Amino acid sequence: MIHYFVPSSLKEALKILNENDCYIFAGGTDLMVQKHLSSGLLPNFDKDVLFIMKINELNYIEKDNEGNIHIGATTRYNEIEASSLIPEIYKTVIKEIASPNIRNMATLAGNIGNASPAGDSLLPLILNDAEVVLSSIDGERIIKVQDFILGVKKLDRKQNEIIKEIVIKPQELDYFYRKVGSRKAESITKVSFLGGYKIEKNRLVDFRVAFGSVSTKVVRNQEVENKYINKELKDIDIDSVVNDYTNLVTPITDQRSNKEYRHKVAMNLLKKFLKEIKGGRDE
Amino acid sequence: MEIKFVLNHKQVAIDVNPSMRLLDVLRDVCHLTGTKEGCGEGECGACTVLVNDEPVNSCLMPIINVFGKEVITIEGFRETKAYKVISSAFADMGGSQCGFCTPGMILASYAVLRKNPHPTDEEIRIALSGNLCRCTGYQAIVNAVKLASEKGVKL
Ligand SMILES: Cc1cc2nc3c(=O)[nH]c(=O)nc-3n(C[C@H](O)[C@H](O)[C@H](O)COP(=O)(O)OP(=O)(O)OC[C@H]3O[C@@H](n4cnc5c(N)ncnc54)[C@H](O)[C@@H]3O)c2cc1C
Ligand code: FES
Ligand code: FES
Repeated sequence: MIHYFVPSSLKEALKILNENDCYIFAGGTDLMVQKHLSSGLLPNFDKDVLFIMKINELNYIEKDNEGNIHIGATTRYNEIEASSLIPEIYKTVIKEIASPNIRNMATLAGNIGNASPAGDSLLPLILNDAEVVLSSIDGERIIKVQDFILGVKKLDRKQNEIIKEIVIKPQELDYFYRKVGSRKAESITKVSFLGGYKIEKNRLVDFRVAFGSVSTKVVRNQEVENKYINKELKDIDIDSVVNDYTNLVTPITDQRSNKEYRHKVAMNLLKKFLKEIKGGRDE
Repeated sequence: MEIKFVLNHKQVAIDVNPSMRLLDVLRDVCHLTGTKEGCGEGECGACTVLVNDEPVNSCLMPIINVFGKEVITIEGFRETKAYKVISSAFADMGGSQCGFCTPGMILASYAVLRKNPHPTDEEIRIALSGNLCRCTGYQAIVNAVKLASEKGVKL
């Protein structure tokens, strides 16, 4: 017998989660698709369900004294898009997720919880070292989104933990974002790319790259980035950067695309980004 | 579990499983069949309804997520002045052919006009990007929303 829990406070939710193995159910735009059987039938949940959208205390966007922005777990994309506290890069990426109708229901925390390598919000989150705060009856812990997502549908989450909030840093870089999919709205990404950089006196003082849908999780490699940080722009060799990433980008073939195409597109986007950094926009 | 919400301006309390799709509650429990089911997976928008004035896909929304909220379906929207303006604009511009997408299109059109009374073509296309139409080729729908915008959707 499946139990459906509808707590109205976080405390209550944590207690339920400690005693029961549950699906955590937020906007449901992933879960309702994954558990859908057919019209007229209930979604096919095989264990208990904890609905969290009625926990009003988790619906917030707040800035702390250090300028970090805290986004509560039940905050939906449409609220994030509309908030003046949210850095532009997040809005740019979120506006290309699904359709306005879906964004009125879906949460940012759900995109992390779904742990898909095609999760679009994961690119800015990982590129900007965003963190999640996990809550359980034992207390809280903070972990980088990059470390929290281990692979396809795999999270570093204990059964009694819930994502309480996401903490993002204020924007400080120039960005280059491209999402490649079949149709503008609602396409599951075939390949996505986000680059971030900062130039001071012809020197690359910050340099970050993230690829989506090209591996079991979003690809970001700080070791490679560090090789190029603090180099003079003229010393950045595009082929050598591409060479560094070529083996990190390991896409698969599926119904949406094939691996050769994905690899090629990913590398082309990287080249475009590097050209933009070096000042030779080619669009 | 008893779910209380406002449906088409009337307070209702419906005893159903909290995971039941809003779409099934509307069609099978409340017998409001104006809301259509196309894909059942959030892709087509035929099931669009307004929750607290925002368009959502009722095929993905469990009934528990409308607890305490206000739901408007095409049946409730028909009673408004805005409906008259938008639906006659759809008729004038050929924005509806087989009609299957139309309830969702009309509600999504209302939602964009409510926030942005004079949208550009591009803004209309983005706002309606979650609503598919197999018949019209979309331009007629964009024209209809523009006409409704010119006539003014009184809210
Ligand atoms: C038509 C359509 C188009 C889409 N297009 C895109 C797209 O372009 N880009 C994209 O990235 N995604 C897309 N999605 C996927 C989906 O909308 C997003 O992943 C969304 O952010 C999920 O949020 P939700 O609140 O609906 O999640 P839910 O379905 O409620 O949950 C998703 C997962 O996260 C877990 N979870 C949710 N909240 C928490 C929490 N607080 N703590 C721990 N775990 C939690 C759930 O257990 C579940 O495993 C699309 C979906 C549909 C149906
Ligand atoms: S039936 Fe809901 S989006 Fe297609
Ligand atoms: S009028 Fe037939 S689907 Fe739009």
